Amino acid sequence: MPDVIVNNWAFLAQGLAITVQLSALTILAGTVLGLALGVARFLRVPVFGQVAAFYIEFVRGTPLLVMLFICYFGLPALLHFHTTAYRAALLGFVLFIGAYIAEDIRAGLRSVSAGLVQAGLSMGLTPSQVLRFVVLPLAFRRVIPALFNQYVRLFKFTSVASVIGVDEFTASALLINARVFSPVTIILTVAVTYLVLCSAISFVGRALYAHLAVRT
Amino acid sequence: MEYQLNFTPIWEHRDLILQGLATTVALSISALVIAGIIGLVIGSVGTARSRSWRAGAALYVEVMRNVPLLVHMYFWYMALAFLQLPAFVCAMLGLALYSGAYVAEVVRSGIGSIPNGQMQAGLALGLRYFQTLRFVIYPQALRIIAPSLASLLSQLIKDSSLASVLAVAELAYQAGAIEGQTFRTFEVYITLSLIYLVLVTIVTQTITWLAGESESAAAQLSDA
Repeated sequence: MPDVIVNNWAFLAQGLAITVQLSALTILAGTVLGLALGVARFLRVPVFGQVAAFYIEFVRGTPLLVMLFICYFGLPALLHFHTTAYRAALLGFVLFIGAYIAEDIRAGLRSVSAGLVQAGLSMGLTPSQVLRFVVLPLAFRRVIPALFNQYVRLFKFTSVASVIGVDEFTASALLINARVFSPVTIILTVAVTYLVLCSAISFVGRALYAHLAVRT
Repeated sequence: MEYQLNFTPIWEHRDLILQGLATTVALSISALVIAGIIGLVIGSVGTARSRSWRAGAALYVEVMRNVPLLVHMYFWYMALAFLQLPAFVCAMLGLALYSGAYVAEVVRSGIGSIPNGQMQAGLALGLRYFQTLRFVIYPQALRIIAPSLASLLSQLIKDSSLASVLAVAELAYQAGAIEGQTFRTFEVYITLSLIYLVLVTIVTQTITWLAGESESAAAQLSDA
Protein backbone atom coordinates (compact mmCIF):
# COMPACT_ATOMS: atom_id res chain seq x y z
CA MET A 1 0.00 0.00 0.00
CA PRO A 2 1.37 3.44 -0.91
CA ASP A 3 2.07 5.84 1.94
CA VAL A 4 -0.51 8.38 0.80
CA ILE A 5 -3.26 5.83 1.21
CA VAL A 6 -1.98 4.39 4.50
CA ASN A 7 -1.57 7.82 6.07
CA ASN A 8 -5.04 8.96 5.06
CA TRP A 9 -6.73 5.65 5.60
CA ALA A 10 -9.26 6.81 8.17
CA PHE A 11 -10.32 9.80 6.10
CA LEU A 12 -10.83 7.68 3.01
CA ALA A 13 -12.76 5.09 4.99
CA GLN A 14 -15.04 7.82 6.29
CA GLY A 15 -15.75 8.93 2.74
CA LEU A 16 -16.35 5.38 1.65
CA ALA A 17 -18.78 4.90 4.53
CA ILE A 18 -20.81 7.87 3.27
CA THR A 19 -20.76 6.49 -0.27
CA VAL A 20 -21.99 3.12 0.97
CA GLN A 21 -24.65 4.69 3.18
CA LEU A 22 -25.87 6.94 0.37
CA SER A 23 -26.01 3.98 -2.02
CA ALA A 24 -27.79 1.71 0.43
CA LEU A 25 -30.47 4.28 1.28
CA THR A 26 -30.96 5.08 -2.41
CA ILE A 27 -31.23 1.41 -3.33
CA LEU A 28 -33.94 0.88 -0.71
CA ALA A 29 -35.99 3.99 -1.47
CA GLY A 30 -35.34 3.84 -5.22
CA THR A 31 -36.55 0.25 -5.43
CA VAL A 32 -39.75 1.12 -3.57
CA LEU A 33 -40.34 4.14 -5.83
CA GLY A 34 -39.53 2.12 -8.93
CA LEU A 35 -41.88 -0.65 -7.86
CA ALA A 36 -44.73 1.81 -7.27
CA LEU A 37 -44.18 3.61 -10.59
CA GLY A 38 -43.61 0.41 -12.54
CA VAL A 39 -46.74 -1.30 -11.22
CA ALA A 40 -48.81 1.84 -11.76
CA ARG A 41 -47.65 2.05 -15.35
CA PHE A 42 -48.11 -1.66 -15.94
CA LEU A 43 -51.65 -1.69 -14.57
CA ARG A 44 -52.43 1.60 -16.37
CA VAL A 45 -53.78 3.05 -13.13
CA PRO A 46 -55.81 6.14 -14.14
CA VAL A 47 -53.96 9.47 -13.67
CA PHE A 48 -51.17 7.96 -11.56
CA GLY A 49 -50.12 5.71 -14.43
CA GLN A 50 -49.93 8.63 -16.83
CA VAL A 51 -48.10 10.78 -14.31
CA ALA A 52 -45.66 7.91 -13.80
CA ALA A 53 -45.12 7.57 -17.55
CA PHE A 54 -44.45 11.29 -17.94
CA TYR A 55 -42.15 11.34 -14.93
CA ILE A 56 -40.17 8.33 -16.17
CA GLU A 57 -39.69 9.86 -19.62
CA PHE A 58 -38.60 13.15 -18.10
CA VAL A 59 -36.04 11.62 -15.75
CA ARG A 60 -34.64 9.21 -18.34
CA GLY A 61 -33.95 12.15 -20.62
CA THR A 62 -32.18 14.17 -17.93
CA PRO A 63 -28.52 13.77 -16.91
CA LEU A 64 -27.93 12.79 -13.30
CA LEU A 65 -25.84 15.90 -12.72
CA VAL A 66 -28.76 18.10 -13.77
CA MET A 67 -31.07 16.08 -11.51
CA LEU A 68 -28.76 16.80 -8.57
CA PHE A 69 -28.63 20.49 -9.48
CA ILE A 70 -32.42 20.60 -9.58
CA CYS A 71 -32.64 18.94 -6.17
CA TYR A 72 -29.87 20.97 -4.56
CA PHE A 73 -30.36 24.42 -6.13
CA GLY A 74 -33.64 24.44 -8.06
CA LEU A 75 -36.27 22.92 -5.79
CA PRO A 76 -35.14 24.66 -2.57
CA ALA A 77 -35.29 28.00 -4.40
CA LEU A 78 -38.68 27.26 -5.89
CA LEU A 79 -40.31 25.86 -2.77
CA HIS A 80 -38.42 27.84 -0.14
CA PHE A 81 -36.81 25.18 1.97
CA HIS A 82 -33.30 24.52 3.18
CA THR A 83 -31.49 21.34 2.44
CA THR A 84 -28.06 19.83 2.88
CA ALA A 85 -25.94 18.52 0.04
CA TYR A 86 -26.32 14.99 1.38
CA ARG A 87 -30.12 15.14 1.51
CA ALA A 88 -30.34 16.76 -1.90
CA ALA A 89 -28.08 14.08 -3.36
CA LEU A 90 -30.14 11.34 -1.73
CA LEU A 91 -33.35 12.84 -3.14
CA GLY A 92 -31.80 13.25 -6.58
CA PHE A 93 -30.46 9.70 -6.68
CA VAL A 94 -33.76 8.19 -5.55
CA LEU A 95 -35.77 10.20 -8.09
CA PHE A 96 -33.23 9.32 -10.77
CA ILE A 97 -32.73 5.61 -10.24
CA GLY A 98 -36.42 5.09 -9.37
CA ALA A 99 -37.40 5.95 -12.95
CA TYR A 100 -34.96 3.42 -14.40
CA ILE A 101 -35.98 0.72 -11.93
CA ALA A 102 -39.64 1.40 -12.81
CA GLU A 103 -38.97 0.61 -16.45
CA ASP A 104 -37.11 -2.59 -15.56
CA ILE A 105 -39.93 -3.69 -13.30
CA ARG A 106 -42.53 -2.93 -15.96
CA ALA A 107 -40.57 -5.00 -18.47
CA GLY A 108 -40.41 -7.83 -15.93
CA LEU A 109 -44.14 -7.63 -15.28
CA ARG A 110 -44.87 -7.72 -19.00
CA SER A 111 -42.75 -10.85 -19.39
CA VAL A 112 -45.18 -12.84 -17.21
CA SER A 113 -47.48 -14.67 -19.61
CA ALA A 114 -51.18 -13.87 -19.72
CA GLY A 115 -52.01 -17.56 -19.26
CA LEU A 116 -50.67 -17.49 -15.70
CA VAL A 117 -52.87 -14.51 -14.87
CA GLN A 118 -55.90 -16.28 -16.34
CA ALA A 119 -55.04 -19.44 -14.41
CA GLY A 120 -54.82 -17.45 -11.19
CA LEU A 121 -58.12 -15.70 -11.82
CA SER A 122 -59.90 -18.94 -12.73
CA MET A 123 -58.69 -20.48 -9.47
CA GLY A 124 -60.64 -17.81 -7.66
CA LEU A 125 -57.88 -15.38 -6.74
CA THR A 126 -58.80 -11.72 -6.86
CA PRO A 127 -56.85 -9.51 -9.31
CA SER A 128 -54.77 -8.03 -6.49
CA GLN A 129 -53.99 -11.53 -5.20
CA VAL A 130 -52.91 -12.58 -8.69
CA LEU A 131 -50.60 -9.58 -8.77
CA ARG A 132 -49.27 -10.27 -5.30
CA PHE A 133 -48.82 -14.07 -5.47
CA VAL A 134 -48.35 -14.84 -9.17
CA VAL A 135 -47.15 -11.92 -11.25
CA LEU A 136 -44.85 -10.06 -8.85
CA PRO A 137 -42.84 -13.06 -7.58
CA LEU A 138 -42.22 -14.29 -11.14
CA ALA A 139 -41.43 -10.81 -12.44
CA PHE A 140 -39.13 -10.12 -9.48
CA ARG A 141 -36.97 -13.14 -10.26
CA ARG A 142 -36.61 -12.18 -13.90
CA VAL A 143 -35.86 -8.60 -13.05
CA ILE A 144 -33.00 -9.30 -10.62
CA PRO A 145 -30.17 -8.97 -13.20
CA ALA A 146 -31.55 -5.67 -14.50
CA LEU A 147 -32.14 -4.46 -10.96
CA PHE A 148 -28.57 -5.19 -9.89
CA ASN A 149 -27.33 -3.48 -13.05
CA GLN A 150 -29.10 -0.36 -11.84
CA TYR A 151 -27.62 -0.79 -8.35
CA VAL A 152 -24.10 -0.98 -9.80
CA ARG A 153 -24.83 2.04 -11.97
CA LEU A 154 -26.12 3.91 -8.98
CA PHE A 155 -23.11 3.00 -6.87
CA LYS A 156 -20.83 4.47 -9.52
CA PHE A 157 -23.07 7.49 -9.92
CA THR A 158 -22.79 8.40 -6.24
CA SER A 159 -19.37 9.77 -7.15
CA VAL A 160 -21.20 12.63 -8.88
CA ALA A 161 -22.45 13.76 -5.46
CA SER A 162 -18.92 15.12 -4.92
CA VAL A 163 -19.79 17.86 -7.41
CA ILE A 164 -22.47 19.35 -5.15
CA GLY A 165 -20.21 18.98 -2.12
CA VAL A 166 -21.12 15.70 -0.47
CA ASP A 167 -18.06 14.38 1.38
CA GLU A 168 -18.25 10.93 -0.15
CA PHE A 169 -15.43 8.72 -1.32
CA THR A 170 -14.44 10.59 -4.49
CA ALA A 171 -14.62 13.95 -2.73
CA SER A 172 -12.43 12.68 0.14
CA ALA A 173 -9.88 11.36 -2.31
CA LEU A 174 -9.80 14.65 -4.21
CA LEU A 175 -9.36 16.52 -0.95
CA ILE A 176 -6.41 14.33 0.02
CA ASN A 177 -4.95 14.89 -3.41
CA ALA A 178 -5.32 18.63 -2.98
CA ARG A 179 -3.24 18.35 0.21
CA VAL A 180 -0.51 15.86 -0.65
CA PHE A 181 -0.68 15.92 -4.48
CA SER A 182 -0.21 12.36 -5.56
CA PRO A 183 -2.84 12.11 -8.30
CA VAL A 184 -1.77 8.84 -9.94
CA THR A 185 -1.83 6.82 -6.72
CA ILE A 186 -5.00 8.40 -5.42
CA ILE A 187 -7.08 8.19 -8.61
CA LEU A 188 -5.99 4.60 -9.21
CA THR A 189 -6.86 3.67 -5.63
CA VAL A 190 -10.29 5.22 -6.06
CA ALA A 191 -10.79 3.40 -9.36
CA VAL A 192 -9.76 0.03 -7.91
CA THR A 193 -12.00 0.51 -4.88
CA TYR A 194 -15.04 1.23 -7.04
CA LEU A 195 -14.09 -1.66 -9.30
CA VAL A 196 -13.96 -4.12 -6.40
CA LEU A 197 -17.18 -2.90 -4.79
CA CYS A 198 -19.12 -2.83 -8.08
CA SER A 199 -17.94 -6.35 -8.85
CA ALA A 200 -19.12 -7.37 -5.39
CA ILE A 201 -22.60 -5.94 -6.05
CA SER A 202 -22.75 -7.73 -9.42
CA PHE A 203 -21.64 -10.93 -7.72
CA VAL A 204 -24.42 -10.68 -5.14
CA GLY A 205 -26.90 -10.13 -7.97
CA ARG A 206 -25.72 -13.19 -9.88
CA ALA A 207 -25.74 -15.33 -6.74
CA LEU A 208 -29.25 -14.19 -5.84
CA TYR A 209 -30.46 -14.84 -9.38
CA ALA A 210 -28.97 -18.33 -9.37
CA HIS A 211 -30.39 -19.00 -5.91
CA LEU A 212 -33.92 -17.96 -6.90
CA ALA A 213 -33.88 -19.49 -10.37
CA VAL A 214 -36.86 -21.68 -11.09
CA ARG A 215 -35.67 -25.25 -11.31
CA THR A 216 -37.66 -27.30 -13.75
CA MET B 1 -42.77 35.43 -0.44
CA GLU B 2 -43.67 33.48 -3.53
CA TYR B 3 -41.06 32.40 -6.03
CA GLN B 4 -41.91 34.05 -9.35
CA LEU B 5 -41.05 31.95 -12.36
CA ASN B 6 -39.27 34.11 -14.89
CA PHE B 7 -37.69 32.62 -17.98
CA THR B 8 -36.73 35.86 -19.79
CA PRO B 9 -33.17 36.05 -18.33
CA ILE B 10 -32.54 32.60 -19.77
CA TRP B 11 -33.80 33.63 -23.19
CA GLU B 12 -31.46 36.62 -22.99
CA HIS B 13 -28.54 34.27 -22.49
CA ARG B 14 -29.51 31.97 -25.34
CA ASP B 15 -26.13 32.54 -27.06
CA LEU B 16 -24.37 30.90 -24.09
CA ILE B 17 -26.78 27.98 -24.21
CA LEU B 18 -26.21 27.55 -27.94
CA GLN B 19 -22.43 27.59 -27.43
CA GLY B 20 -22.83 25.00 -24.71
CA LEU B 21 -25.05 22.91 -26.92
CA ALA B 22 -22.45 23.00 -29.70
CA THR B 23 -19.76 21.82 -27.27
CA THR B 24 -22.02 19.09 -25.91
CA VAL B 25 -22.72 17.87 -29.44
CA ALA B 26 -19.03 18.01 -30.41
CA LEU B 27 -18.03 16.18 -27.24
CA SER B 28 -20.72 13.53 -27.70
CA ILE B 29 -19.92 12.92 -31.35
CA SER B 30 -16.15 12.68 -30.86
CA ALA B 31 -16.59 10.39 -27.86
CA LEU B 32 -19.13 8.34 -29.79
CA VAL B 33 -16.76 7.78 -32.70
CA ILE B 34 -13.96 6.55 -30.41
CA ALA B 35 -16.38 4.50 -28.31
CA GLY B 36 -17.76 2.96 -31.50
CA ILE B 37 -14.30 1.91 -32.65
CA ILE B 38 -13.41 0.54 -29.21
CA GLY B 39 -16.75 -1.24 -29.01
CA LEU B 40 -16.40 -2.76 -32.46
CA VAL B 41 -12.87 -4.04 -31.80
CA ILE B 42 -13.35 -5.22 -28.22
CA GLY B 43 -16.81 -6.61 -28.97
CA SER B 44 -15.51 -8.59 -31.95
CA VAL B 45 -12.54 -9.86 -29.92
CA GLY B 46 -15.11 -10.91 -27.32
CA THR B 47 -16.54 -13.40 -29.81
CA ALA B 48 -13.14 -14.73 -30.91
CA ARG B 49 -12.48 -18.45 -30.76
CA SER B 50 -9.37 -18.07 -28.61
CA ARG B 51 -10.18 -18.16 -24.93
CA SER B 52 -7.40 -15.77 -23.90
CA TRP B 53 -8.58 -13.15 -26.41
CA ARG B 54 -12.11 -13.43 -25.04
CA ALA B 55 -10.80 -13.11 -21.50
CA GLY B 56 -8.84 -10.00 -22.48
CA ALA B 57 -11.96 -8.39 -23.95
CA ALA B 58 -13.99 -9.32 -20.88
CA LEU B 59 -11.31 -7.83 -18.61
CA TYR B 60 -11.41 -4.53 -20.49
CA VAL B 61 -15.19 -4.39 -20.27
CA GLU B 62 -15.30 -5.24 -16.57
CA VAL B 63 -12.59 -2.78 -15.58
CA MET B 64 -13.96 0.12 -17.62
CA ARG B 65 -17.59 -0.43 -16.72
CA ASN B 66 -17.07 -0.73 -13.00
CA VAL B 67 -15.24 2.56 -12.52
CA PRO B 68 -17.37 5.72 -12.29
CA LEU B 69 -17.25 8.01 -15.31
CA LEU B 70 -16.18 10.88 -13.09
CA VAL B 71 -13.13 8.88 -12.00
CA HIS B 72 -12.38 8.10 -15.67
CA MET B 73 -12.36 11.81 -16.40
CA TYR B 74 -10.23 12.64 -13.36
CA PHE B 75 -7.81 9.94 -14.41
CA TRP B 76 -7.04 11.74 -17.66
CA TYR B 77 -7.28 15.21 -16.17
CA MET B 78 -5.38 14.73 -12.91
CA ALA B 79 -3.52 11.43 -12.82
CA LEU B 80 -2.16 11.97 -16.32
CA ALA B 81 -1.84 15.72 -15.82
CA PHE B 82 1.77 15.59 -17.06
CA LEU B 83 0.39 14.90 -20.55
CA GLN B 84 -1.12 18.41 -20.45
CA LEU B 85 -4.18 17.34 -22.39
CA PRO B 86 -6.90 19.97 -22.80
CA ALA B 87 -9.94 19.43 -20.58
CA PHE B 88 -12.11 18.71 -23.60
CA VAL B 89 -9.81 15.86 -24.67
CA CYS B 90 -9.71 14.45 -21.12
CA ALA B 91 -13.51 14.45 -20.96
CA MET B 92 -13.72 12.93 -24.43
CA LEU B 93 -11.26 10.13 -23.64
CA GLY B 94 -12.89 9.34 -20.31
CA LEU B 95 -16.32 9.26 -21.90
CA ALA B 96 -15.10 7.20 -24.87
CA LEU B 97 -13.26 4.54 -22.85
CA TYR B 98 -16.18 4.22 -20.43
CA SER B 99 -18.93 4.07 -23.07
CA GLY B 100 -16.75 1.90 -25.31
CA ALA B 101 -17.06 -0.91 -22.78
CA TYR B 102 -20.86 -0.71 -22.96
CA VAL B 103 -20.78 -0.60 -26.77
CA ALA B 104 -18.48 -3.64 -26.73
CA GLU B 105 -21.01 -5.65 -24.71
CA VAL B 106 -23.80 -4.70 -27.12
CA VAL B 107 -21.66 -5.54 -30.16
CA ARG B 108 -20.67 -8.87 -28.63
CA SER B 109 -24.26 -9.84 -27.95
CA GLY B 110 -25.24 -8.66 -31.45
CA ILE B 111 -22.61 -10.83 -33.11
CA GLY B 112 -23.56 -13.70 -30.82
CA SER B 113 -27.17 -13.44 -31.93
CA ILE B 114 -26.24 -14.18 -35.56
CA PRO B 115 -26.45 -17.94 -36.19
CA ASN B 116 -23.11 -19.69 -36.60
CA GLY B 117 -24.25 -20.96 -40.00
CA GLN B 118 -23.86 -17.44 -41.42
CA MET B 119 -20.14 -17.43 -40.65
CA GLN B 120 -19.74 -20.96 -42.01
CA ALA B 121 -21.67 -20.05 -45.16
CA GLY B 122 -19.47 -17.00 -45.69
CA LEU B 123 -16.27 -19.02 -45.23
CA ALA B 124 -17.62 -21.77 -47.48
CA LEU B 125 -18.25 -19.18 -50.20
CA GLY B 126 -14.56 -18.32 -50.11
CA LEU B 127 -14.73 -15.10 -48.10
CA ARG B 128 -11.94 -14.51 -45.60
CA TYR B 129 -12.79 -14.38 -41.90
CA PHE B 130 -12.73 -10.58 -41.76
CA GLN B 131 -14.65 -10.30 -45.02
CA THR B 132 -17.37 -12.51 -43.59
CA LEU B 133 -17.51 -10.32 -40.50
CA ARG B 134 -17.60 -7.16 -42.57
CA PHE B 135 -20.13 -8.19 -45.22
CA VAL B 136 -22.24 -10.88 -43.55
CA ILE B 137 -22.17 -10.64 -39.78
CA TYR B 138 -21.90 -6.90 -39.02
CA PRO B 139 -24.76 -5.72 -41.27
CA GLN B 140 -27.16 -8.22 -39.70
CA ALA B 141 -25.92 -7.57 -36.17
CA LEU B 142 -26.21 -3.80 -36.61
CA ARG B 143 -29.91 -4.11 -37.32
CA ILE B 144 -30.42 -6.13 -34.18
CA ILE B 145 -28.42 -3.88 -31.88
CA ALA B 146 -29.68 -0.54 -33.26
CA PRO B 147 -32.16 0.05 -30.40
CA SER B 148 -29.52 -0.75 -27.77
CA LEU B 149 -27.06 1.55 -29.52
CA ALA B 150 -29.62 4.33 -29.52
CA SER B 151 -30.12 3.87 -25.82
CA LEU B 152 -26.33 3.88 -25.23
CA LEU B 153 -25.95 7.03 -27.27
CA SER B 154 -28.60 8.78 -25.21
CA GLN B 155 -26.69 7.72 -22.08
CA LEU B 156 -23.51 9.09 -23.59
CA ILE B 157 -25.08 12.48 -24.33
CA LYS B 158 -26.40 12.73 -20.79
CA ASP B 159 -23.11 11.53 -19.31
CA SER B 160 -21.25 14.21 -21.24
CA SER B 161 -22.68 16.69 -18.73
CA LEU B 162 -20.01 15.47 -16.28
CA ALA B 163 -17.42 17.22 -18.45
CA SER B 164 -18.60 20.41 -16.77
CA VAL B 165 -16.71 19.23 -13.68
CA LEU B 166 -13.46 19.60 -15.67
CA ALA B 167 -14.65 23.09 -16.70
CA VAL B 168 -15.42 22.08 -20.28
CA ALA B 169 -17.88 24.75 -21.38
CA GLU B 170 -20.70 22.43 -22.43
CA LEU B 171 -24.41 22.75 -21.65
CA ALA B 172 -24.35 22.01 -17.93
CA TYR B 173 -21.38 24.32 -17.43
CA GLN B 174 -23.03 27.19 -19.31
CA ALA B 175 -26.21 26.63 -17.33
CA GLY B 176 -24.18 27.06 -14.14
CA ALA B 177 -22.70 30.26 -15.56
CA ILE B 178 -26.15 31.63 -16.44
CA GLU B 179 -27.42 30.69 -12.99
CA GLY B 180 -24.54 32.59 -11.44
CA GLN B 181 -25.41 35.72 -13.41
CA THR B 182 -29.20 35.67 -13.19
CA PHE B 183 -30.03 33.71 -10.00
CA ARG B 184 -32.98 32.14 -11.84
CA THR B 185 -31.96 28.82 -10.30
CA PHE B 186 -35.00 26.67 -10.91
CA GLU B 187 -35.68 28.01 -14.41
CA VAL B 188 -32.09 27.44 -15.52
CA TYR B 189 -31.94 23.81 -14.46
CA ILE B 190 -35.42 22.88 -15.63
CA THR B 191 -34.60 24.43 -19.03
CA LEU B 192 -31.34 22.50 -19.05
CA SER B 193 -33.07 19.20 -18.39
CA LEU B 194 -35.64 19.93 -21.11
CA ILE B 195 -32.87 20.66 -23.62
CA TYR B 196 -31.24 17.32 -22.81
CA LEU B 197 -34.63 15.61 -23.04
CA VAL B 198 -35.22 17.05 -26.53
CA LEU B 199 -31.68 16.25 -27.64
CA VAL B 200 -31.88 12.67 -26.42
CA THR B 201 -35.34 12.15 -27.91
CA ILE B 202 -34.26 13.47 -31.31
CA VAL B 203 -31.21 11.20 -31.34
CA THR B 204 -32.99 8.03 -30.27
CA GLN B 205 -35.92 8.63 -32.60
CA THR B 206 -33.55 9.24 -35.52
CA ILE B 207 -31.60 6.06 -34.91
CA THR B 208 -34.79 4.08 -34.44
CA TRP B 209 -36.10 5.51 -37.70
CA LEU B 210 -32.83 4.78 -39.49
CA ALA B 211 -32.94 1.21 -38.28
CA GLY B 212 -36.17 1.00 -40.24
CA GLU B 213 -38.25 -0.82 -37.68
CA SER B 214 -39.82 2.08 -35.86
CA GLU B 215 -42.63 0.16 -34.17
CA SER B 216 -40.87 -2.78 -32.53
CA ALA B 217 -37.63 -0.92 -31.87
CA ALA B 218 -39.47 1.84 -30.06
CA ALA B 219 -41.09 -0.80 -27.88
CA GLN B 220 -37.72 -2.37 -27.13
CA LEU B 221 -36.21 1.03 -26.43
CA SER B 222 -38.80 1.86 -23.85
CA ASP B 223 -37.83 -1.36 -22.11
CA ALA B 224 -34.11 -0.79 -22.39
